[in-house]
Amino acid sequence: MQISVDRAKCDNHGQCTFSAPTVFRLDDQGILQYEASVDDSLRADVEEAADVCPMQAIFITD
Amino acid sequence: MIHIIIRMRHNRTNDEVHTMPTEIEVPYLDISDPAFSMHSEAVRRAREQHWYAKTNYGYAVLRHQYVSTLLKDPRLSQGSGKWPDHNGVHDGLFHSWWTKCLLVLEGEDHHRIRRMLNPAFSLRHIEAYIPQFEALAEELVAGFLDSGECEYVNDFAEPYATRVLCILTGIPESEWPTIARIAGTIGLALGITIKDELPEIEEALGELYGYAEGLIADRQANPRDDLVTRLVEANRDGDSLSDDELRNALCLLIFGGMDTTRNQLGLGMQTMMHNPEQWELLAAHPELARNAVEEVMRANPTTTWVTREAVVDFDYEDLHAPAGSTVHFFTQVSGNDPEAYPNPEIDITAERAPHYGFGGGMHHCLGHFVARLDMAIAMRVFSKHMTNIRVNGQDEWLPDSGNTGPVRLPLAFDKR
Repeated sequence: MQISVDRAKCDNHGQCTFSAPTVFRLDDQGILQYEASVDDSLRADVEEAADVCPMQAIFITD
Repeated sequence: MIHIIIRMRHNRTNDEVHTMPTEIEVPYLDISDPAFSMHSEAVRRAREQHWYAKTNYGYAVLRHQYVSTLLKDPRLSQGSGKWPDHNGVHDGLFHSWWTKCLLVLEGEDHHRIRRMLNPAFSLRHIEAYIPQFEALAEELVAGFLDSGECEYVNDFAEPYATRVLCILTGIPESEWPTIARIAGTIGLALGITIKDELPEIEEALGELYGYAEGLIADRQANPRDDLVTRLVEANRDGDSLSDDELRNALCLLIFGGMDTTRNQLGLGMQTMMHNPEQWELLAAHPELARNAVEEVMRANPTTTWVTREAVVDFDYEDLHAPAGSTVHFFTQVSGNDPEAYPNPEIDITAERAPHYGFGGGMHHCLGHFVARLDMAIAMRVFSKHMTNIRVNGQDEWLPDSGNTGPVRLPLAFDKR
């Protein structure tokens, strides 16, 4: 599955890192880093991350 | 005024390093002065002068760019976990609830519970309640519309905010006055008189426990399509919330969701009364209601500051806060920072940099989609039915620092 984050919307609150910690993380500067392409077995976690994002900045593109 | 001299490396030319002493004047704000106001010229001047101020109770971050970055810094913890202990309350029901609340938990203890609570509060699930929120707003407005006046807090904001919580949790809406009283009494725990008022606070919390435990037992036996069932059934990687964790979370939802929403509704009304052309724009374009909520929360938030505590020695640019220091984030001041908002006048069509009226980072308000949607519906319903809204008699307000808002707001209006 492919993931994209709208950087104009993302405000680095990091709620997605609780839902899918192997996909999303905050770096030392507190900036969101993520895997853009992940195995489909993680779909439920990534969908949850997109759902709970306060800024609604996470999109699953396939 | 406190003066800090720092030495900055400056102007490297011809292999010669000049060190120039540069004086940074850090402003000082007396935030315990009863006359202290977030809206004062002194605070605006401090924000112009430097990105933070020293206060008699820690540091205060004033500029939007710094609030945005540092509010989420993991070196700063939520910090209010020790509030009861600092005020002489070391055990008992309130202490035990507060110190296990999501609000004050940190690290893995926090993340585990937050992860299981978050999905029930997602936009998708909360949007399903819109028709009920709208019916409630219409019902309350119908109660006073023909009279041309209302007392906004008692006739609308308080019943609306409390009944929204009843709708979400499945508590009968007719019991809203009890829920409002309980939430208000537990709220006394945030004042410095917590110890004196502890018996009353604990009695109210005990009552709320009763409601929460009843709801949990009922949904465990009779699951349905609602928020409490989703919390009861929340399960991640084989882990789920214990009955105590569920109860603590429901109590936090009611405690944290009532007066914040009531107060923010009042502040939104105040802002829109000062901007009647924006009110008419909203009436003509109800689809702008959600943006209108963002705009009033940016400019006039109920949570005028958010507080953190340095876990370790905290250094950022010229700020050196020893471990244990308090760092305040002035959300109302940063929401009106001309560097982030060059045209700070209320404009419900504007696309703005995010505000921090819901806090930020891992402690970002859990119920923000509830608040965003229920307030948008309230503004939409009011603007549909009422115009020329004005204060009609003696209004009363909480102090404008801390969690502010109207205590009493009598209004007159023309029916549309």
